[in-house]
Amino acid sequence: MFTIPLFVLFGAMAVGCALAMVAQRNPLYSAISLIGVFVSLACLYMTLQAPFIAAVQVIVYAGAIMVLVVFVIMLLNVEEEVRRPVRLRFLVPVGVLLAAILIGEAAFILKLPGAASRIDAFGQRPSDVGLTASIGTALFTEYLLPFEVTSVLILMALVGAITLARRTATPRLAAPGNVDTEPPELGPRGEVFIRPGDTAETGRAFARHQLQRGEAAASAKRTGEEGER
Amino acid sequence: MFSLLFAPPNFVDDLLLKLFSQETVNFVVWPFIQIGAVITLIAVWALYASYLERKISAFMQARLGPMRVGKWGLLQPIADAVKLLTKEDLMPERADPYIFRFAPYIAVAATFLTFSVVPFAPNWGVITDVNIGLLLVLAVSSVGVLALILAGWSSNSKYALLGGLRSSAQMVSYEVSMGLSLVGALMFARTLSLSGIVGAQASDSVWFFLYQPLAFAIFFVSGIAENNRAPFDLPEAESELVAGFHTEYSGMRWSLFFMAEYAAMVVVAGVATTVFLGGWYFPGVLRLAGGYNNLYVFLSLFVFVVKCAVLLYLYFWFRWTFPRYRYDQLMDLGWKWLIPASLLNIVWTGLTVFTVQALDGWNNIKTIESLKGAPNLARGLNLTATGKGVAIALGWAGLLVAALFLAAVNWRSRDFNLKKQRRQVRLVDVPKGKPAVATTAATGEG
Repeated sequence: MFTIPLFVLFGAMAVGCALAMVAQRNPLYSAISLIGVFVSLACLYMTLQAPFIAAVQVIVYAGAIMVLVVFVIMLLNVEEEVRRPVRLRFLVPVGVLLAAILIGEAAFILKLPGAASRIDAFGQRPSDVGLTASIGTALFTEYLLPFEVTSVLILMALVGAITLARRTATPRLAAPGNVDTEPPELGPRGEVFIRPGDTAETGRAFARHQLQRGEAAASAKRTGEEGER
Repeated sequence: MFSLLFAPPNFVDDLLLKLFSQETVNFVVWPFIQIGAVITLIAVWALYASYLERKISAFMQARLGPMRVGKWGLLQPIADAVKLLTKEDLMPERADPYIFRFAPYIAVAATFLTFSVVPFAPNWGVITDVNIGLLLVLAVSSVGVLALILAGWSSNSKYALLGGLRSSAQMVSYEVSMGLSLVGALMFARTLSLSGIVGAQASDSVWFFLYQPLAFAIFFVSGIAENNRAPFDLPEAESELVAGFHTEYSGMRWSLFFMAEYAAMVVVAGVATTVFLGGWYFPGVLRLAGGYNNLYVFLSLFVFVVKCAVLLYLYFWFRWTFPRYRYDQLMDLGWKWLIPASLLNIVWTGLTVFTVQALDGWNNIKTIESLKGAPNLARGLNLTATGKGVAIALGWAGLLVAALFLAAVNWRSRDFNLKKQRRQVRLVDVPKGKPAVATTAATGEG
């Protein structure tokens, strides 16, 4: 009874948000529209009695990925795009043609002779496709190997990201030669500038240098004092 | 008057059935009545939470707090609300107008949406019982982060932006430990539906807090951090960021953030109550279920509210007794303490459940009552008294194990074990036998 109005509501929301996402000039507005698409899709999953998929949709896409996207857009301070002359004009009719084919396919599936009865039969059967228990059982029995392989894949991506983001291990200060012989670059008041590429090793090398210099100075001072006495 | 309090909702139901069809009443009218009641109550709570906050802080600091408006200042929140409603709604000149106006609504909507799955009481005290209730709470709270980031960014102010950045980093990191800490309790409950979790505790007549003390502590600490409450109120640290992400907000829009914060406290307290403190269940309540249905529901509601109130008092207590964390300490606590502890808790709980089930076959110790026919998932593990004893003992032993584990993990970290570390501090690569620079002052004396 309420399925059709709810479907129309959330479907219209999804389509509207998707159109807004493409049409917006401001990237942040596009990102927010995309969140709208994800949330309305989650609502559609909910009406299809797949609550687990709906929750995962919101957690993974709207929660994790879009927060990251919004974060990046904010930090990079992306400006509004200015309208540029359209390149690749021939893509417009191609897009229209592809959309027409897609709509045609959907209509073909729905309007196939006998489709209505099959859809009804599918709807009558109590389905446990989207339930937590059935997904968990399937993941840990039948699809255990793909599941584990996927998790290893994600782990590899994680390791790769950390490797890329890690700072280089070569200390900049010690790079040209020996720290003991080459003093670090100091500012006018004797301060040290930390630069991108500096590591803990740089700090240690600098500390070593300071220590030896300070020791030399201190011993010189001490000998001087003793001489005064 | 007394009988009216326990008047059955049946006559309301009868009245509604005369106006609408059965389906409309069940799926539209009743939910709207429940949603309206919850929103009203939470809004009133948000008003009076400010009063409570001021009074509790006053009593902790040997003051009186608001006393002028009404008796004991009880009407102070009303005066504040009128002030906020009539205040001018300012917007910074170069702010992003649409996002600036829209962000408070995301905060409020994300918080209030969670109440739809919290079981306040059995029977008509539940708005909806989806079988992913707990996941929905986590999902919606992860969307709530967006409100803070967008508010901070759209204000076009450095304080607001810094507050937004801090809040996003903080909430994303504490979400992890919050979600992981619930897994242990779920192993005993064997369902994600919040009503089902209460049912599992009721059928075992035990609180999961007894099985999972560590998880409860992790969940509550992460919850406080997730709500941006002191001592984790870094996103709005007054001493550094003026007011953080809501610096530029005024009037009604500011009060929406404020309302979302107090409502989010109730969400965390409500979920903690449901998962760890037995929800609306208390011993003997199920006996009322037959004859005294409305008494049963009202009593359960009262029990739920009392349990929540205790947790909410803890919030106020923590706020006025703990100093604010430094930002790096906050991140350390999240990533080096709470997440390892919650991961350990999952492993330890798995071992506990395995032991309890294994004992069932060994030496004829019965730890699990056999479920006749198909196992009922909503009834949890269905432990016997022996099984409960073993689970509780292992649960509290888990605290010790976690303490040892965390000490091992964090032995060399900067804010832990300082005394031992100071003794071992050595300067890098100083040749042996030679003193470091610092010793010159001491020798200079002689």
